[in-house]
Amino acid sequence: MSQVFHDIEKKIITSLKENPFQTPETLEKSTQLLPDQIRRGIEWLKLKNLAIVDESKSSTMSLGKNGLDSFEKGLPERRLLNLVKNGPRKLSDLQKELGFIFGPAMGLCRKNNWIETSSDEIILKTTPSILPGEKTLQQIGSGKLSKSELDTIDLTELLKRPDFIVEDIVKSKKISLTNSAKSIDISNISGAIDVEAKVPELFVARTHPLKDTIDEIREIFVTLGFSEILGNMTQSSFWNFDALFTPQDHPARELQDTFFLDGISAKKIGTAEQIRKVSDSHKKNWRYQWDINEARKMVLRTHTTCVTIKHLAENKPDEARIFSLGRVFRNEKVSYKHLVEFNQIEGIVVGKDANLRNLMGIQREFYKRIGITKIKFWPTFFPYTEPSLQTMVYNEKLGKWIELFGMGIFRPEVTKPLGITKPVLAWGGGIERIAMLKYDLDDVREFYNNNLGWLRSNTKCQ
Amino acid sequence: MPVIELSYSRLQKLIGKVSKKQISDSLPFLGLDIESEDKDLVRIEYSPNRPDYSTDYGIALGLQGLLGIKTGSVKLTIKKSKNYNIIVKPTVSKIRPFVTGIIAKNGKIDDKTIKQLMTMQEDLHFGIGRKRKKSSIGIHDLDKISFPLIYTTTTRNHKFIPLNSEKELSISEILSDTETGKDYGSVLGQSSQVPIIMDANEKTVSFPPIINAAITIVTTKTKNLFVEVTGINKDDAEDMLSVVATILQSAGFTLEHIQISGAKNSSPKLQEKKMIVDSSLINQTLGLNLNIAKIITSLKKSRLTALSKGKNIVCLIPAYRFDIFGPMDLVEEVALGYGIQNFEPTISPSQTIGQTNPVSLQLKSFDQTMIGLGFLEALNSSLSSKRVLYDMTNRNSKKIISVLDSKSQEHTILRDSILPGLLENLSRNIHESYPQKMFETGSIFNLDNPISEKTNLAVISAHKDANFTEIKSVLQTVLKIGFGIQIETQTAINSSFKNGHCANIIFNKNIIGIIGEIDSKIIDNYKIRVPVVGFEISLSDSVLKSI
Repeated sequence: MSQVFHDIEKKIITSLKENPFQTPETLEKSTQLLPDQIRRGIEWLKLKNLAIVDESKSSTMSLGKNGLDSFEKGLPERRLLNLVKNGPRKLSDLQKELGFIFGPAMGLCRKNNWIETSSDEIILKTTPSILPGEKTLQQIGSGKLSKSELDTIDLTELLKRPDFIVEDIVKSKKISLTNSAKSIDISNISGAIDVEAKVPELFVARTHPLKDTIDEIREIFVTLGFSEILGNMTQSSFWNFDALFTPQDHPARELQDTFFLDGISAKKIGTAEQIRKVSDSHKKNWRYQWDINEARKMVLRTHTTCVTIKHLAENKPDEARIFSLGRVFRNEKVSYKHLVEFNQIEGIVVGKDANLRNLMGIQREFYKRIGITKIKFWPTFFPYTEPSLQTMVYNEKLGKWIELFGMGIFRPEVTKPLGITKPVLAWGGGIERIAMLKYDLDDVREFYNNNLGWLRSNTKCQ
Repeated sequence: MPVIELSYSRLQKLIGKVSKKQISDSLPFLGLDIESEDKDLVRIEYSPNRPDYSTDYGIALGLQGLLGIKTGSVKLTIKKSKNYNIIVKPTVSKIRPFVTGIIAKNGKIDDKTIKQLMTMQEDLHFGIGRKRKKSSIGIHDLDKISFPLIYTTTTRNHKFIPLNSEKELSISEILSDTETGKDYGSVLGQSSQVPIIMDANEKTVSFPPIINAAITIVTTKTKNLFVEVTGINKDDAEDMLSVVATILQSAGFTLEHIQISGAKNSSPKLQEKKMIVDSSLINQTLGLNLNIAKIITSLKKSRLTALSKGKNIVCLIPAYRFDIFGPMDLVEEVALGYGIQNFEPTISPSQTIGQTNPVSLQLKSFDQTMIGLGFLEALNSSLSSKRVLYDMTNRNSKKIISVLDSKSQEHTILRDSILPGLLENLSRNIHESYPQKMFETGSIFNLDNPISEKTNLAVISAHKDANFTEIKSVLQTVLKIGFGIQIETQTAINSSFKNGHCANIIFNKNIIGIIGEIDSKIIDNYKIRVPVVGFEISLSDSVLKSI
């Protein structure tokens, strides 16, 4: 397989072929690349064993404030010697002309016997053509230099002086090509890039996975000929329980399962006729004193059936396929299996020919469309349907049958008082259960944690 | 749903010639869910409408039918007797007016039978007894009791030795010190008189609906039983008695009548109930085409008596099957007897055209617009808490809608705003990379005769450069692209937002929402380390209304 190179790599290799040992700075100049590009390019070549990076430490010298001053005007002692070159000068005049450098200059010249003093005059004795330190000052002044390139004695002389020389410790990289890199013919390589390289991760904006499942289920219902109805999450007990033949003293209505809204009752719960007929059905069949105030108590709906039954009671269709979908509530302890609030889908079919086998057929079709083909039906009990069934579906991953939707035909004790004359098939169940299977989740709470790690990484099409 | 533990080997003895596999395969088709199995033991969940399934005797009766071993209804044989009388005093009529009962003789009682009877009793108390309020049972050792009995009332000072006690306790002490007294004492209210059953020697037999006397305790040495049921409704009390009588007869006891009289009470009859069902209702409802003979066989397998009368079927329903209200219940009995596994699902062509609700469609388009702007969809519960909705977000909590006795502290109040939940979400993601941009559409709740539910949209953006301009651009764009509407923003003060960086959202001169930079105190509360901006608008009051 031929090697592929990024443009950056190619430029660096070309430059290093011309000039075998370079620093990142010289590469910048020769390749016209940005420092960051050079850094990355070198890193890539190093990983491919094409470049060698020698890292070394060195110190470079540059001039400090006093050094710069001397570089421009001469060393203090040179300036003093120049002033007395043409004859003796008065000490006070020299002091005035040289300012604060006069002291150090006098000290050095005297120590080296270049001058002598007589009363208040200074007289030149001898002038060396090059003073100690002068050559090094010139060298450093014309460009940064490393310690090794300088005369050690000369440098030591200057380093003694305050603010003359600044020493910088520099880490430097020397980049060269390996032997295999030297043989690469860059000109033969096309404009290909490294398509195998890793690229940064992006986070996609997306709908919530549970919402995707909800939409999918909604779509299936619509294509099966069902129309969606909406309803409130807060409902009177009348529609949530009484209209569905659940007696007022039934344990399911008690606090442990149902969320009652603190001190909130509905003034209007239904028509006078609906209330009378529903209460009569309760009194006759369940034998207790039906209490309208109990029916007025507002609850968080425990199922979406309250929405469908209300729709049927208001519209009394002879033929209909409708569904409602939304949040329902149960006062339970939250766990990996249970939520206090979850989504439920509920479908109903009204028609003179609606029967149990049709109901089973619709279930089978629905499950087929969400990818479940191994299903069976078991009898069960619901207070408002008769007969009642539940679907069991086989889960390959778990290797067992699990319970999904419940279904049945609304009891005459439910439909008759509300003036519904045709048989009503009804079924429904929790959506989170289906979504858990779909997304392979063990903990139902994950759907409401809004954990970005999960939301950002989850596979969309499953 | 109640659960009961059974033994396969015991069931096999009760049913007759049947394999363990036949039993476990058939249980679900009786409407019983197998919860778990462990060798000979099996835990079964049964429906509250079938208290006869609270014992293995009852389940055995059902399985005998389904498997065709014994079909037709279980008839009670109750021997007439003049030896057993209960006299009811009128004083009970205001407290617990009815008593009924039966004698069961010559049975064998082992530990397992006692356990089964106790589960049945508990189930009956909870379900049809409505936690002993409607009716309750006492099962006693007949040989410790002298008839006739008197069902009457007594004061709270009355003393006797109750079950599980070694010394005499007064009624008041029983109610305040014993477990059942504390659990069920409220059934009796504040009345100074309480119901009591005394025997001919003025020994206390039972203090219904709370506790029996210790002396009548049933043990493995007991041979003969006295069963009493008391309650506020005669029919309910007799329903309960019918279950116990049926189970005791199945357990090998011989039943004998008790004569009951006084204060509108009478002896129980426990008779079969006659009901007629039209075969065409059965076939129409089930989608089958069964002939009369097949229907009758199916009903018999469901342990009912059935006879043909033209195209009608006359059913005789034993008293313990009080879950059968009318013909539709018989349709289900046919389905069960026929076998749910024998139904072939069919699909009838749809005469209707499906339609997504327009509101759902609009919300979906809206979601897509938010996604296009780079926001991730979040979902939070509608039921939230004071901490999230008010304390952490520094919001006013005047008109809260709370639920009673929630089992979860995080779910006590219906949300009146979505934004606080999103802030909470940010706080749980501070270790994830930024920018973090989220939105949620959902319902919010307000008190309004009694409650109004509206759909809101909340949007949040958190990253180091988040600012007002950014979030206003998002707001402006989503409403323009999503719904073609223009909004304005007008300086506002809001405790959740930074002063001078907050505005009301105005549409058609109405305030429909709020937008701004989240106040740094709230960001600190949540330990978020970047600025956060956001907005929330009512879709119901702006765009969704227009459909």
